[in-house]
Amino acid sequence: MSFRLRRSVTAYLMLLPTLVLIGVFVVYPIVDSFVISFYKWDMLSASKPFVGLQNYIYIFEDPLFHTALKNTVLYVVFFVPIVLALGLLTAVLLNAKIRLLPLFRTAFFIPYVTSLAATGIVWQWIFNDQFGLLNYLLERAGLHAQDWLNDPRWTLFNIITIGVWQNLGYVAVIFLAGLQNISREYYEAADVDGATPWQKFARITLPLLSPTTYFLLILTTIEAFKVFLQIYVLYGETAGPNNSGMTLLYYMFTKGFGDYRMGYACASAYVLFLIVFVFTLAQMALSRRVHYEA
Amino acid sequence: MKKVWVYLVLILLSLFVLGPFLWMLSTSVKPDAEVLSAVPHLFPEHWALDNYVKAWASAPFARYFWNSFFISAVETVFDLTFGAMAAYAFARMEFFGKNVLFVALLATMMVPGEVLLIPNYITISSLNWLNTYQGLIVPWLVSVFTIFLMRQFFLGLPREVFEAAELDGCGPLRTLFGIIMPISKPIWITSALIKFVGAWNAFLWVLVIANSSDYYTLPVGLINFSTDVGTVYNQLMAAATFSVLPLIVLFLFGQRYFIEGIARSGIK
Repeated sequence: MSFRLRRSVTAYLMLLPTLVLIGVFVVYPIVDSFVISFYKWDMLSASKPFVGLQNYIYIFEDPLFHTALKNTVLYVVFFVPIVLALGLLTAVLLNAKIRLLPLFRTAFFIPYVTSLAATGIVWQWIFNDQFGLLNYLLERAGLHAQDWLNDPRWTLFNIITIGVWQNLGYVAVIFLAGLQNISREYYEAADVDGATPWQKFARITLPLLSPTTYFLLILTTIEAFKVFLQIYVLYGETAGPNNSGMTLLYYMFTKGFGDYRMGYACASAYVLFLIVFVFTLAQMALSRRVHYEA
Repeated sequence: MKKVWVYLVLILLSLFVLGPFLWMLSTSVKPDAEVLSAVPHLFPEHWALDNYVKAWASAPFARYFWNSFFISAVETVFDLTFGAMAAYAFARMEFFGKNVLFVALLATMMVPGEVLLIPNYITISSLNWLNTYQGLIVPWLVSVFTIFLMRQFFLGLPREVFEAAELDGCGPLRTLFGIIMPISKPIWITSALIKFVGAWNAFLWVLVIANSSDYYTLPVGLINFSTDVGTVYNQLMAAATFSVLPLIVLFLFGQRYFIEGIARSGIK
């Protein structure tokens, strides 16, 4: 065996566990999911007729799928800007020279590491219309109590609140790292020129932070399209009152593991995948506008 | 900006972030009568610490804890081992198809894992692995993210470290686990924490693979418990508290690596 070939063999041996596992549990299912989306299959019976594009036609005509699509897009459109803006605000504050910094940083990060299954139960209790903390606070402030969990108008608000709450620390920490990479000399030069804090923020911080913002934009958008657990812990098997919490992933879950309609489920999974893919490509096209520090 | 404002806004944001945890703790030590009182107090008039005992006894939480711990620990150990091996190959070895393979691996990170749920469920079920540890664990033994993190770290190490070991006649495995891993502590601690937390909090996969409470992990067990006890909020909050505690403790110990690791990996 030649030296080069032997080296290649050794390298592939090092990669073997990874390639096998990724092949079986990532690459194969990507293909398989696509194939199943053209069949009618309940997973239990042997019959598995090919139905062509029928599953796709069905879901696009299904009003529930429309609801899921609408809710998912609304979630993304509100969640992403809110979590990025609040995360940036938090990071800027944490970047000021203040006491107790590690304490604050830890506080913001705790929701991110704890399971939403546990903390979601707490939120369910906070949103309770009769004994919940939120209504108590509202009434103390002289405002009207709301039926947070049973009124479909609030569903999106509830799941966005939990999403922002959980991800704020993560976004803030990454922004913080970005802020700390900005050289202090820029600010010193701006000070000499007599720039206001707002000018410094708008002309130095924001542009130089754009690689970080861009990275977070892609990451939080992909995550947001997969919103599921908040709804599951708040509303259980139903997707909220009047399906007001129905999202794409929830739709896939219901079709697959509720109705055992694997064809519909895989078709909707593929639609979700395509949407995420198109969004990511579109955002990558944006990257030409990102300023990278020389 | 004035410091007072910085503190004020930070404290307000912290209240938003920590409020639910305070509320959870406070409710978990209240007797039944005080839980549903019209005027909630942060501290109970009578402490009811036995909520914890009752909650612990009314579902097999010891089992859920063990399952969560076992599954997360096994996944983490394998993820680090296989991940380090792959990262070493990509960072240090020349082989046919290296760049194509690496890009292909990175591309799989763009596929939402949930999209793979159904085919993977079918695979596991056709292996008769529903309700088994291997069904819960095996699909998650490697993660591309770990490989990526470690490769970046290995690329940053001086070449001499690798060359010295290789000149001494060490094979790649001896070099990797004898010399490289001990000096790569920050990156494998970070990877391990991220993997462990992810495995501990995994929900959807456990929900579909485990239909028997023998194989529930804490998150799924807790949701089931919550459906069972309904509005016994104090016990529910006690259970929620003891199930988030291990991760909060783990995070407090590892947070220096965790936050830096996430921040660093996020940028590059």
